[in-house]
Amino acid sequence: MQARVIALGQAAAGDDGVGVAVLEALRARGVPAGVELARAPEDVALISLLETRAPVVLVDAVLARPAGEVLELGLADLERPGAPAISTHGIGVPEAVELARTLAPGAVTSSIRVVAVTIERPTRYEQRLSPAVAAALPRAVERVLALVEG
Amino acid sequence: MSKPPTRTIKVGYLARVEGETGLTVTVRRGRVERVGLEIFEPPRFFEAFLRGRAFGEAPDITARICGICPIAYQMSAVHAMEDALDVHVGGTLRALRRLLYCGEWIESHALHVYMLHAPDFLGYPDAISMARDHREGLQRGLRLKKAGNAIVSLLGGREIHPVNVRVGGFYRTPGRAELAGLTDDLAWARDAALETVRWVAGFDCPEFEPDYEFVALRHPDEYPMNEGRIASSAGLDVSAHDYDAHFVEEHVARSNALHSRLRERGPYLVGPMARYALNAERLSPLAREAAHDAGLPPVCRNPFRSIVVRAIDILYACDEALRLVAAYEPPTRPCVEAAPRAATGYGATEAPRGLLYHRYRLATDGSIEDAKIVPPTSQNQKSIEDDLARFVAPRLALPQAEVTRQCEQAVRNYDPCISCATHFLQLRIEEA
Repeated sequence: MQARVIALGQAAAGDDGVGVAVLEALRARGVPAGVELARAPEDVALISLLETRAPVVLVDAVLARPAGEVLELGLADLERPGAPAISTHGIGVPEAVELARTLAPGAVTSSIRVVAVTIERPTRYEQRLSPAVAAALPRAVERVLALVEG
Repeated sequence: MSKPPTRTIKVGYLARVEGETGLTVTVRRGRVERVGLEIFEPPRFFEAFLRGRAFGEAPDITARICGICPIAYQMSAVHAMEDALDVHVGGTLRALRRLLYCGEWIESHALHVYMLHAPDFLGYPDAISMARDHREGLQRGLRLKKAGNAIVSLLGGREIHPVNVRVGGFYRTPGRAELAGLTDDLAWARDAALETVRWVAGFDCPEFEPDYEFVALRHPDEYPMNEGRIASSAGLDVSAHDYDAHFVEEHVARSNALHSRLRERGPYLVGPMARYALNAERLSPLAREAAHDAGLPPVCRNPFRSIVVRAIDILYACDEALRLVAAYEPPTRPCVEAAPRAATGYGATEAPRGLLYHRYRLATDGSIEDAKIVPPTSQNQKSIEDDLARFVAPRLALPQAEVTRQCEQAVRNYDPCISCATHFLQLRIEEA
């Protein structure tokens, strides 16, 4: 395997589902041989998906303005909450990575990049993206492809 | 006249519970005057969303209430709808629903026991810190959770917010080989669950035994999940049809969640301890023996030992899931058709956190005119407050950080799910 692309987010929560939408767009377009597309339905599920020697690209939404910007981030860029934030709804991405590295030292990829699309905080259940975030899809797809082909 | 001394202990945000909650303990002249659980996660208005929607949409809409226990919402919804529409689901479809519920109990409880609650007993601030010293334990917990998720994925169509449940049964039922594919992981999970019971049985728990009135479903033949009468340790024994006659929900200004109480007697407790107290004899022999070996009495009243009872739930669910998988014969059709009619339906099932009640009033065309959903955390909220008042009183002399830590642990005993209650923790202890 050359790379693993992992989408995070909740498709039914409007723009929070942009990671899933990017994954679907990549699947429709086709990715180079050796690139695996995966979805982590929750952050705990991310832990086992990080166990690979291949580089990993996470695709997720981040809360920031203006909506619809595509950012490439490292793990250090993801803001950590002030309190231990493990809840019954799962854990955050940095915590999932830290837990994965603690539980399986040496088995977790050493290369994790994040392609993030900025969104406004979702306020309702809807299974579609806002126009600004939908317009960012092609740019997000290109950014992921540039990373996995890099 | 000078004001009495004031003391405040505050936890800005309670971690390792689901949702957003604060807790304030007011202490006057060294005595606990008031304990208030302030739930400031905004209301989510699911009961209002449901009005005007078709009866068949309820399982999919209510599944969105919680990412951890969507099956519970789907099960209570379909049972209430089937009650309204006089639909009877038996045989293999009934067994598949039970298997699906086993999956949810396993994944929800494994997460709580290993990631959320065990760090309290072992002296770690969180699961990541605990993982550095207890790597194998955490790995076991996460693999257990995956075993539960695998059941939910297979029968529900996906892990989170499943889409394969419908009024009358399922959209698609699995073949024998598909279900049999779960067997090896479930056999491993059953051994791991037994190991979990032994592990948590060794945790030190404070002496603390409130006199709860336990409320749970009780079924003549099985440990309750989808069916049974609503029973209590004080002698209540009613059908879901009579829930509203015996239980009342009240608004409390400090909280966005409603508080439930028994009309006649006040606060009560639902959840694993209540299920166990009212149904221990219905556990499988393996789970019963494990409970005995773990030192659990027939009725466990110490909420700190709920972690042991929760582990028994996991063991039972793995054991039961293996039994159901082995006995599975695919049904001739995936569901029983339901025709709309004007009626009111009632359903109560055992979510991982306890009794979950749904009531729907349907119009002639099957659209929902009125919905009522009472999640377990709403029902436990008053008992949590009462417990904390009793728990904190003898601990007021402890250093602020320590009393705060112990109060947080006490709240986590109940595995509160605030998004379900719409609504959970921030701790403040104020001396007024």
